[in-house]
Amino acid sequence: MASLLILGAAVAVYVPYAAVSPSGPSGGTAIGLTFGIIGSAFMLFAGLLAGRKKVAIWRLGRAQTWMRGHLWLGLLSLPMILFHAGFRGGGALTTALLALIVIVVASGIFGAALQHFVPDVMTAELPFETVFEQIDHVRGQLIAEADELMARASAPVNLVATAPSGDLAATADTVLAAEDAIAPLRDFYSREMRPYLLEPRKKEHSLADAAKADGIFKELRRLLPDEAQDMARNLEEIFEEARQLRRQETLHHLLHDWLMLHVPLSFALLLLGAVHAVMALRY
Amino acid sequence: MPRAKLTTKKLAQRIDLNYFKRPHPLRRWRTILSIAVPAVALLFVARAALRGNERVYSSGKMSASHAVLTARCAECHVKEAGVFTSRATDSACRACHDGPIHHANQTFTPNCSSCHIEHRGHKRLAATADADCTQCHANLRTTGMPSQFNLQIDSFGGSHPEFAALRVGSVDPGTIKLNHAVHLKANLRGPNGPVQLDCDDCHRPPTSTAPWRFGSGQAAGTTGATGARDSGSVGNSIVTPRKFYPPSQVLARAYMAPSTYANTCIGCHPLQFDKRFQESVPHDTPQIVHAFLVQKFQQYIPGHPEELRVAGSMRILPQQPLPPAVRVFTPQQWVAERVAESEELLWRKTCAQCHLLNISAGAALPVVAKSNITPRWFAHAIFNHEDHRFVKCLECHTRAAKSQETSDILLPGIQVCLECHHSSRESAESRCFECHTYHDWSKEKPVKGNLTLSQSLRRN
Repeated sequence: MASLLILGAAVAVYVPYAAVSPSGPSGGTAIGLTFGIIGSAFMLFAGLLAGRKKVAIWRLGRAQTWMRGHLWLGLLSLPMILFHAGFRGGGALTTALLALIVIVVASGIFGAALQHFVPDVMTAELPFETVFEQIDHVRGQLIAEADELMARASAPVNLVATAPSGDLAATADTVLAAEDAIAPLRDFYSREMRPYLLEPRKKEHSLADAAKADGIFKELRRLLPDEAQDMARNLEEIFEEARQLRRQETLHHLLHDWLMLHVPLSFALLLLGAVHAVMALRY
Repeated sequence: MPRAKLTTKKLAQRIDLNYFKRPHPLRRWRTILSIAVPAVALLFVARAALRGNERVYSSGKMSASHAVLTARCAECHVKEAGVFTSRATDSACRACHDGPIHHANQTFTPNCSSCHIEHRGHKRLAATADADCTQCHANLRTTGMPSQFNLQIDSFGGSHPEFAALRVGSVDPGTIKLNHAVHLKANLRGPNGPVQLDCDDCHRPPTSTAPWRFGSGQAAGTTGATGARDSGSVGNSIVTPRKFYPPSQVLARAYMAPSTYANTCIGCHPLQFDKRFQESVPHDTPQIVHAFLVQKFQQYIPGHPEELRVAGSMRILPQQPLPPAVRVFTPQQWVAERVAESEELLWRKTCAQCHLLNISAGAALPVVAKSNITPRWFAHAIFNHEDHRFVKCLECHTRAAKSQETSDILLPGIQVCLECHHSSRESAESRCFECHTYHDWSKEKPVKGNLTLSQSLRRN
């Protein structure tokens, strides 16, 4: 509400000022300069959020207040600067500044919108969410677990131990039968699942699509004997975890990649804005 | 055997607790870019500074007339030693062109840049906003003598008064008797039958070279038979030949030249004086006309001595001696008689048809009032007929067709101008500069140029 009031007041000042200005609004007039100072102050405050995050122990106000200030004052800085510039680009530096502020604010709005919706999506879809920076580490653990699971499934020693004692032929038959029974699982693991676990980012994986993967596992369970159902279920759980890790990666990038544009450009904007302030006063 | 249930604890136990010591590539790249991008921006600024390129700080495109100085910021933004600011000052402007003061009584003199806004890419820097003028003229105050002008003018379509020449009580000071209504009637009696006059049969700019329909047939700008120079040829001798400029740029076509007898009247109004002669007297001063008449009759009589004997008057007046049957004149007497008769005709009728003649009782010759044709009605504004050549004359000079008196001022009123020149998008220009100039160019001081071509064209 306060932001709307500020915007309304700014518009109420700008419209008559623009109408009566002999050659149109300009940044060098008293009102134009005032808009520029206010817009710059808003941008500076918005930029201080980075510092506030770095030295959180200082406890300079609540984090929520800082974030709200960053969002609303940052958003308001755009109309202030546009009023300051009279909606004109001017020369090279001023045009670049105008482009920068538009990109920074637009990316900020985009990021704010994403941060409004995506966390709820993550909460709903990712019960196995982990720390983002540890995704590769956890994925490695999943691969090791899956490998161990398959190794246990393939070891004839266990089956030999279950075979009737003294009957080597029966044992061999049991082993062969067991091997044949889990061959689809082993085949599936080596051809599909392990490559997916190793490189989940490849879109051409048949397991990349959740619905398709579900179907594949259903079919797999159908082909396997009852003794191997647990194995399949375990593999599916491991796969589900890996899939969620991949989904978490995707959503995390969605939530944070825009900052690669927003943060550097905003620093450039502040720096060039300072240069512009000095040089405009000079000339 | 099913997997162990994944609890939060089990999930947490998967985490390497030292992970935060190794920044993630995403975070690392964000830090790198947060330093690199501003650094690149700073390098851009530093490079411009090292190369002395100040154009990067320009606030906009230069106007058309100053575009050649785009790379030469220092020509206007003069740097002074020890001073950080280098704004464009009036002295920088005056280094190339003078800007004379508007009026000696003005209360303040604005800076050049307050009216002529640069860096907006204007095509015409002189196209100033009305507010630059109305900052004074909306509530005019002067130093010293009070102003003779309207004190509150805010715009052309607003409180701009009627043109001074048309104020109540104003009359045309011209003394040439002319009835426009008669001259613009259809089927006027012309030299070769009925004619319909057009406005340009009498009114043209001084540079016009088209033949005059009812003129003497001599080229415009030539002298008359007696050596007198037609007033209509004023300015021709110094006008740039038309072939170098399109018509709208030849300022000599802005105003109409005063009509002259030789170009506009002679075809229908010959100055014949005697049935013995086909030719007319010269359209000149009474002294010249008198000398012409004397010379003409003196040349005539030696060849016609029979005219010296004139039949006496048949009038018999009571108690008066009978007049002689035949009168014999000497050549001098005859010439004097004929000259007197001719002058009586001319002064009382022919010349008096158009001119105001003052015939004093004791004076030999009348005094002809000066024609007082006003060549230019706007004393404080400019107008260019050439720019309006696409409009019919009578559309603006609406009173001409019905004007019967010389004293009628046929200048269009402000309402006529407002038909086209008003403040809307689809109208002709109506800002002050279109008709008025701020600078009193009669006080212009010459400026000696000091810019070299290489200076002005060199890029930074």
